[in-house]
Amino acid sequence: MLLGLDGDSKAWRALLSDIRPAMAAFFKRRLIGCEADAEDLVQNCLIAIHAKRATFDRSMPFTAWAYAIARYKLIDHLRRQGRRGTVPLEDSFVLLAEHTVEDGVVRRDLTRVLAILPNRQRRLVEDVRIGGFSVAEAAARNGFTEGAAKVSVHRSMKTLSASVQNHED
Amino acid sequence: MKTDDLIEALAAGIEPVKPARLSPLMVGGALAVAVTVVVLMFGIRPDLAEVVRGPTFWAKAIYTGALAIASLWLVTRLGRPGACMGMAGWSVMAIVGLAGLIGAIELLLLPPEARVDDWLGFNWKVCAINILKVSAFTAPLIFLAARRLASTRPLQAGAAAGLLTGAVAATAYGLYCPEATAAFVATWYTLGMVAAAAFGAVIGRFALRW
Repeated sequence: MLLGLDGDSKAWRALLSDIRPAMAAFFKRRLIGCEADAEDLVQNCLIAIHAKRATFDRSMPFTAWAYAIARYKLIDHLRRQGRRGTVPLEDSFVLLAEHTVEDGVVRRDLTRVLAILPNRQRRLVEDVRIGGFSVAEAAARNGFTEGAAKVSVHRSMKTLSASVQNHED
Repeated sequence: MKTDDLIEALAAGIEPVKPARLSPLMVGGALAVAVTVVVLMFGIRPDLAEVVRGPTFWAKAIYTGALAIASLWLVTRLGRPGACMGMAGWSVMAIVGLAGLIGAIELLLLPPEARVDDWLGFNWKVCAINILKVSAFTAPLIFLAARRLASTRPLQAGAAAGLLTGAVAATAYGLYCPEATAAFVATWYTLGMVAAAAFGAVIGRFALRW
């Protein structure tokens, strides 16, 4: 860098080539889904590093300066695009939570809370609130009329939230 | 364009550079503009020949001048990617704080009934506004000079450049302004310069992008 500031073109070429992969990785990591823009940004960034090389303070670390420029260019790019971190649908699994140990914990808590309900009501609540059945379907599955099922679910939820609240107090 | 070719092209045309700073010519020009505007718009205080021999005129000039130098340092610092305000920011705050302290001590030493007069002076209503008016003429040169730098925080850099503008304007305004009390200067001059900094922050948001 210092040689480049003094006008050594060989050193400058070496420097730009050296930071290029690091810049590419930096932008690719932060542009999930629009990696195509990354190469443009790398070029932008190299031009900026070249054009603004006079603002480099010789007593400061080079990487901090270079990454500050990269970050600035990235923010500028995102702002111009007017969107934040979109991901194409076929890659959207990266956004979904993976099954983790936490699932087991949640399931255990749920079972414990639901255990206070009588069997028939519990199954009804599980079907409607967790299983994803409609009230009518759940009522038929558990031998309720639709109206009775609605009332039952409502009462069960009330009991459940009361029990949880008591627990928290 | 291929990135390899780009690197080749950039490296081929490289020239030695000196560390970037605000061009002294531009900053000097800004001061000259400020003085001219003050002379044309307000005139010079009639007793200038007398007061340059006394301490208060110079105390005022030292305050605004020191603030100008500190904010010049701050602008240069914020113009480097990745740098934070650091010592330059602290020195700006220290100068303003010191002036406020001196003003407060002056007020406390006066008898209570004289304090309000001392603080409001003759023309407290126009002082800050006049400094802003002069700043408006000084600002283009300062911001043009600041564009040579590359701030990654345009808002902060703009505020610093605005403060520099205000400080230069206030220094020139001292040629006209007949007020001499520390409390007055610490309040109304500072207010004018802070207002210039606030405008500067907004301008910097747009003008200092690169």
